Amino acid sequence: MANAITVILLFIIGIYCILVSHNLIRVLIGLEILIKAVTLLVIFCGYQTQNTALAQALVITIIVIEVVMMTVAAGVVVGIHRQNNSLDARNIRKLKG
Amino acid sequence: MYALLVLVPFFSLLALNLPFRELNRRLAFGFAAILFLLQMGLVFIPDVYFWRVHLSFFANIFHFQLAADILSKVVLFCIGLVSLTALCVSRSLIKESEERFNFINIILLAVAGMNGVALAQDIFSLYVFLEITAVSSFILIAFEKDILGLESSFKYIVLSAVATVLMIAGIAILMFIAGSTNFSVIHSALLSQNRNLLLSLSIGLFLSALFIKAGLMPFHGWLPDAYTAAPAPVSIFLAGIVTKVAGVYCLIRIILSVIGFNDQLKGILLLVGAFSAIFGALSALTQSDFKRMLSYSSISQIGYIILGLGSGTALGVAGATLHIFNHAVFKSLLFVNSAAVESQTGSRDIDKMNGLAKQMPWTSLTSILGSLSCAGIPPLAGFWSKLVIIIALWLAGYKIYAVIAVLGSLLTLAYFLALQRKLFFAQPNDEFKNIKEAGFGLIFPAFFLAALIVGAGILSPWILSNFILGFNSLVGG
Repeated sequence: MANAITVILLFIIGIYCILVSHNLIRVLIGLEILIKAVTLLVIFCGYQTQNTALAQALVITIIVIEVVMMTVAAGVVVGIHRQNNSLDARNIRKLKG
Repeated sequence: MYALLVLVPFFSLLALNLPFRELNRRLAFGFAAILFLLQMGLVFIPDVYFWRVHLSFFANIFHFQLAADILSKVVLFCIGLVSLTALCVSRSLIKESEERFNFINIILLAVAGMNGVALAQDIFSLYVFLEITAVSSFILIAFEKDILGLESSFKYIVLSAVATVLMIAGIAILMFIAGSTNFSVIHSALLSQNRNLLLSLSIGLFLSALFIKAGLMPFHGWLPDAYTAAPAPVSIFLAGIVTKVAGVYCLIRIILSVIGFNDQLKGILLLVGAFSAIFGALSALTQSDFKRMLSYSSISQIGYIILGLGSGTALGVAGATLHIFNHAVFKSLLFVNSAAVESQTGSRDIDKMNGLAKQMPWTSLTSILGSLSCAGIPPLAGFWSKLVIIIALWLAGYKIYAVIAVLGSLLTLAYFLALQRKLFFAQPNDEFKNIKEAGFGLIFPAFFLAALIVGAGILSPWILSNFILGFNSLVGG
């Protein structure tokens, strides 16, 4: 039960972080927290079903992919900073969605 | 041999970046073109010669579970076709050879990822290949490192990461229920269970993740920005195939092989599909940017595919798959046309440009064919897939949705006629008197795709009769 509460708590923190912060780096940190939450969920589900070998393989792959994604995301943030001299999300609203 | 479709692009990417970079840079274009042509050709080879040959050497090293059915083969063909188009267009639009080499490298990576998605037989490999595709498209969108590209790439990264998180949560819960990640094992575990809260939660998580990836209407925020801000060859690649494979194909695959249809699921799919089809078309009506209009049109056409899937019958799924193919062809064609117009006039604003038909006759002709196919005018290819989707909806008893699909088609015709009238047929503008037709590098792919639209349209009765037979076994009655 404590595990499930931790996962849900991390999930809420991550979503809150993405929604509230204006700094692009903070948005990335929020994404990291979200991914950590689901990684914990995978470990928890593997532990509950006595399927730890599968869960381990999945978790290691998730971590690797997460690193690749965050590297690209950080590169994009560096690019935005070079062009704009600012990391504030309010300054880069040139596109209207 | 399935593994080769993933491994060959991947290892050629590695080989291209080993020593002899000068030589590699010159060879890269031809090599990639041959690879994509081979992939298109392989789809037509009978199963025994290529698809069923088992290589124990690869199977021992790489533990992917891969398989191909008719749905995967259609998608593999589209991947080859659209990548080839993007490659041809990049030759005339990305001038610097170093940049073009980088572009080809990332395209190869994305193709390896998408082939993996098309062949995966287990939800976790599906996730891994999806991420490979997604990461390479982040880089492609920000390829020119201008602020618009970077901004839209960041938007896509955030939404795609949220989609990933939802998807892994769905995978974790399915693993909790079934104890495995294999499609068939999960499917049989789900059949033996009653519908409970946990199962509905995981299905909901999966659906919302894939709706974000496909850019369906409530989750579409990133899609018009990404398509508009990306360089022209990348727009072709993204609009033609990446979102189709990452969102729509995965949705069809997960529903057919893992979850199975039920009434609530069909209800959700029909609602989201109809909403996207209508509101995508309405938003496209108000756009004045050529590429932005095409992006909203993409959302609307994805809505059609989801409507076909939502009917829940073999006929509907066949129509949806045929529409994936048709959409890949006509949307790539229209993006090639937009690239030609942009490269010649330096602008994408439809309101500013008038009467280009005289100066750019071939671009005008091919874009008319593409627009009419998209709007579903017989005998072009787009008509047949829309017809199959509408008939499937009607036969399945969703008559209201069939009517909505017809109305959406009229809206599609409306915005494309407005586009054609302003861009090509109005009184010529003095400012654009000296425009010339685009070069061979942009006209040849446009002609090839236009010929494919007409050819597939005329051959459609034959394609349909061979096609729908293949789908009866897939949906299970």
